[in-house]
Amino acid sequence: MAVTESRPDDAAVPEPLLRIEALGKRFGGLVALDNVTIRLQPGEFRAVIGPNGAGKSTLFNTLTGLHRPDLGRVFLSGTDVTGRTPHALARLGVGRTFQITSVFSALTSLENVQIALLAHSGRSWNVLAWARSMQVTQARALLDLVGLQGRESQLAGTLAHGDQKRLELAIALATEPKLLLLDEPTAGMAARERLESIALVHRIAREIGLTVIFTEHDMAVVFAVASAITVLHQGRVLAEGLPEEVRANPVVHDVYLGETPSDNAAEQEPA
Amino acid sequence: MSRTTLGLWSVAALLFLVAPLGLGAFWQFIAIEALVFALYAMSFNLLLGYGGMLSFGHAAYFGLGAYGVGILMAKLSAPFWLALPAAPVVAAVSAAAVGYFSVRLTGIYFAMLTFAFQMLFFTVALKATVLTGGDDGIVGLTRPGVLVDPAVYYLFVLFITALAIGLLYRMVNAPFGQTLRAIRDNARRVQHLGVHTRAHCWLTFVIAGAFAGLAGGLFALSTGSVFPGWLDWTASATPIVMAVLGGLRVFAGPIAGAFVFVGLETVISGHTEYWPLFMGAIIIALVLLLPGGILGTRSARGGH
Repeated sequence: MAVTESRPDDAAVPEPLLRIEALGKRFGGLVALDNVTIRLQPGEFRAVIGPNGAGKSTLFNTLTGLHRPDLGRVFLSGTDVTGRTPHALARLGVGRTFQITSVFSALTSLENVQIALLAHSGRSWNVLAWARSMQVTQARALLDLVGLQGRESQLAGTLAHGDQKRLELAIALATEPKLLLLDEPTAGMAARERLESIALVHRIAREIGLTVIFTEHDMAVVFAVASAITVLHQGRVLAEGLPEEVRANPVVHDVYLGETPSDNAAEQEPA
Repeated sequence: MSRTTLGLWSVAALLFLVAPLGLGAFWQFIAIEALVFALYAMSFNLLLGYGGMLSFGHAAYFGLGAYGVGILMAKLSAPFWLALPAAPVVAAVSAAAVGYFSVRLTGIYFAMLTFAFQMLFFTVALKATVLTGGDDGIVGLTRPGVLVDPAVYYLFVLFITALAIGLLYRMVNAPFGQTLRAIRDNARRVQHLGVHTRAHCWLTFVIAGAFAGLAGGLFALSTGSVFPGWLDWTASATPIVMAVLGGLRVFAGPIAGAFVFVGLETVISGHTEYWPLFMGAIIIALVLLLPGGILGTRSARGGH
């Protein structure tokens, strides 16, 4: 398939921040991603939805370098980044959070963010400076931003679940990503907390001009914040468009929205 | 800890470190052993306590440092001042080769690979008789000038180990060490922050190997000999026991573990030939009574 021809030919259309071209990935006999093409413009807050096993996690893991795609290319601001390693992609501005909350539980909240800041400024290798006093102001500012002021010296492992999610967001933001991938950002939260949590991310993303792509099972959350929605089904893009378009799409209704996805089922998808 | 208690502890520590000078050659030799093994156990704990990497082959680097000194001095007639600095270098170079492959694996697979490389080094030490003396090892190493006096050599070892442990302290509290702790807690998370975690672990492995090699070199010059048993696989249990005994999550834990271990061994083996039985029983009791290690219970929070 001639992927290069699908490049936007209209010169007025800016190069997307993220351009996924005909991505394919299979695990043995299972086709996890099949000809997935997605464009993400700067400033978008894109939701990727789909039933369990639709390929959302595989898509995220491929975009962040954990899996190497079998077919297709990924471009970040026009640069081909297909098959790059996770740390290389992170250095290019691809940040992420995880479905299962990922913080450094034996370290304090402040240290968690400091480590991310030090990684971003390329100082992880420094063997002689006192890490404790480095980039404290920036780390505190990020903790304030996500609403964790006063929790600086608390061990991350002892924070409440919602606060760990906030901390993980602060860690991800510390690397100043151009593109932030949020894998199930509200997993394990109560319904009301979910909307508050996604609203926080949405507000921060708007303030700092961050482009976000997130997966989510709770449709109330998706329709509250998504600027556009991509629907995956059996590894393919089933539909894509503005929230109201997707909501009105009869095919989407048949395979997904009609199912009235239960929130419990949402927690069970493997990471 | 209040200022007064800190002061008292410092005075006690100072007395403890000065005491061997007045106790004769035997206790000076034991004190050197305690210091050397403290450094060795600390180098091991950089891997396990800070990096979460359980090496079953750490004795290889202690042994390689010792053989480095032994071969350079006994077979190549190199002077002391060249041979001793070579110990950490030899160990670091070997650790770089082993680590390159080992850090690709984690958990028990990492342990098995470090173990396999150690067996390799052990076999070479045993069979390359021309260089290593085989089963008989290398004997008759002598220290130059005033260092012949065990008291002076004790002070020398005290100075070197203090310097080395000070350097390790800087490292674990630097961004390097903080990042290493983060890798221990969640390597994938660190990777997605833009850190080459495998390279980070590799460097840690090399640094740990270098410090173990330095300890081995110092010890070879204390006993005046090197034996293949030093890099046998059973020897790798020693730093593990010392570090666990003292506390994996406290910086000074392995020092306490090494001092207690060497102290117990010396006292008990002076009274009975069944000393390993009593050692084992005491270690079991300590581990059960102080699950975080001798110093571990003092610290409510991990890592510092």
